[in-house]
Amino acid sequence: MADKQYAKPGEYSVVDMLAVAAAREVKDEEVVFAGTGLPMLAIMLAQQLGAPNCKLIYEAGTIDSKGDSLPSSVGDPRCVTKASVASGLFDVFNQLQRGKIDLAYLGGAEIDKYGNVNTTVVGDYLAPVMRFPGSGGNPDINSLARRTVFIMVQEKRRFKENVDYITSPGWMVKKWPEGTLVHRREAYGKKFLGGPSAVITNMAVFRFNEETGVMYVDTLHPGITREQLQENTGFELDFSHCKGETEPPTYEELRILHDVVDPEGIFLP
Amino acid sequence: MVDKRCSLQEAVQMIQDNDMITFSGFVIWRRPMAAIYEMLRQEKKGLHLVEVNSGTHAELLVGAGAVSVWESCWIGHELYGKVPYCLDRKMRERSVIIEDYSHQQMLYRMTAGAMGIPYLPTWASRGTDILNPEYDMLEKAGLRNGANEKIPAKKFDFVQDPFYNEGELIHVPAVRPRVCIVHAQQVGEEGTIRIAGQTYSDEQAIKASDLVIVLAEEIVPESYLREEPERNLIPGYLVDAIVELPWSAHPTGAYGFYDVDGPFIREFAAASRTDERFVAWVDEWVYGVKDHEEYLNKLGVSRLEKLRANSYRKYSTKVKRGSR
Repeated sequence: MADKQYAKPGEYSVVDMLAVAAAREVKDEEVVFAGTGLPMLAIMLAQQLGAPNCKLIYEAGTIDSKGDSLPSSVGDPRCVTKASVASGLFDVFNQLQRGKIDLAYLGGAEIDKYGNVNTTVVGDYLAPVMRFPGSGGNPDINSLARRTVFIMVQEKRRFKENVDYITSPGWMVKKWPEGTLVHRREAYGKKFLGGPSAVITNMAVFRFNEETGVMYVDTLHPGITREQLQENTGFELDFSHCKGETEPPTYEELRILHDVVDPEGIFLP
Repeated sequence: MVDKRCSLQEAVQMIQDNDMITFSGFVIWRRPMAAIYEMLRQEKKGLHLVEVNSGTHAELLVGAGAVSVWESCWIGHELYGKVPYCLDRKMRERSVIIEDYSHQQMLYRMTAGAMGIPYLPTWASRGTDILNPEYDMLEKAGLRNGANEKIPAKKFDFVQDPFYNEGELIHVPAVRPRVCIVHAQQVGEEGTIRIAGQTYSDEQAIKASDLVIVLAEEIVPESYLREEPERNLIPGYLVDAIVELPWSAHPTGAYGFYDVDGPFIREFAAASRTDERFVAWVDEWVYGVKDHEEYLNKLGVSRLEKLRANSYRKYSTKVKRGSR
């Protein structure tokens, strides 16, 4: 560990930083749910480095595949290669609800300070301005995995005081039928398993105070200032627990990412 | 014995306007695309789509004005197009009713349908606006009045666990489509379905539906499928119509047969941005060809050969997927 050779700014892309930072969230032996795109890069990088024994589950129904060709989506035959089980949604979503998933990677179009995510519509749901693809498994996985990590783009219009629609539940969620905000522990009761643990963007890594449910800045990526980050956020940021700079990618991480994980350039530009 | 083999045109004629309908596959994999194109040619209208997840096939149906209700959780083209432009347009025109559930909720709705029970409980997606009582769109449209027996009285309900005292669960109503259109790699002469690779939520979708139409890459002898029954998913008596139609999932992919045609989906997704370009695209690729054979001829042998799966790997090793 002592001889890590860090890449310098300009030697890696934003996507590289996101993938590397996300990969560091995985612990060895964990069972991890991943969707299409950057999460695939992160988990496969982690398997090559610190977490060789983590098990990867794809939402479409494959478990712990060991292929040598990067899938372009979760329904891809490449997810089946040397898997322990190739089944379907009923298998993997039941495992999720059974509490077998340690970590999941998710994305979103909008997020608020409690980690509530919107992937459904822009504007009032009853008179929407624009349609996003929708929830997919995002809220299910975010309900029932022990930890979730969000990978997002840092923009003021995406980091909002309140999201237009809570597609996926953060730490303070709605209690129905009233719609009042309550802590996730109250909403889930005996089925509380955990919740969002990190948000990784092109500018910073955020974590959550699990008591107040509020997001704080953990680290800033190299070259990003507090002012820049605040300018790209729609709510007031908590820097009181900021540990400094995000560990940049190492040359070894970049080599594995580009030469081993995504040599065809499917997700890496 | 009834011969279930028929032409694509005959199979699609079994679908009626206003039918509740679902499909095999997962977003851009194993969708019965040849039947989708034929549904457009036969000008189906008023369809009520209920899908565990949706994708390119539904964008085509929605864009062509064939859909009046869409109940699902996700629609798009994976990395080939993130925005469902057709549904977005119809949503803003208010010509399609959207009922949003989560993926797990839709899966359990279809599972309840397949199990012959009216609902299933789940913990998934508590605390979200999916459960906002104001956002029951079929209720708002007056369609939960019992006139249509396939539409449940409520979007969901909350019920206390009476057995282990674990609190309040979400009950989601069963889905009971009239029609399921399936793409399978192989089907027996009497309808036994064998699916290779991931089965996604096909078993639930097929078993929940009243009428099952299968498009298969090949029809094989039942005796061959009975040599390894553990590889079969569905017995023949649950299937109503079978059509042998190679490449009938194109541009979506089929494990062991062909990859997703990414550039083709990307072009469609880009064309779907405006009504004019959508119309031009379907004029060229749907109405401009008489049938599936003409569609394949238009695609050409070299394009299809690049997509053809390696028989060992189950995916194509010739297709260019990324920037390198």
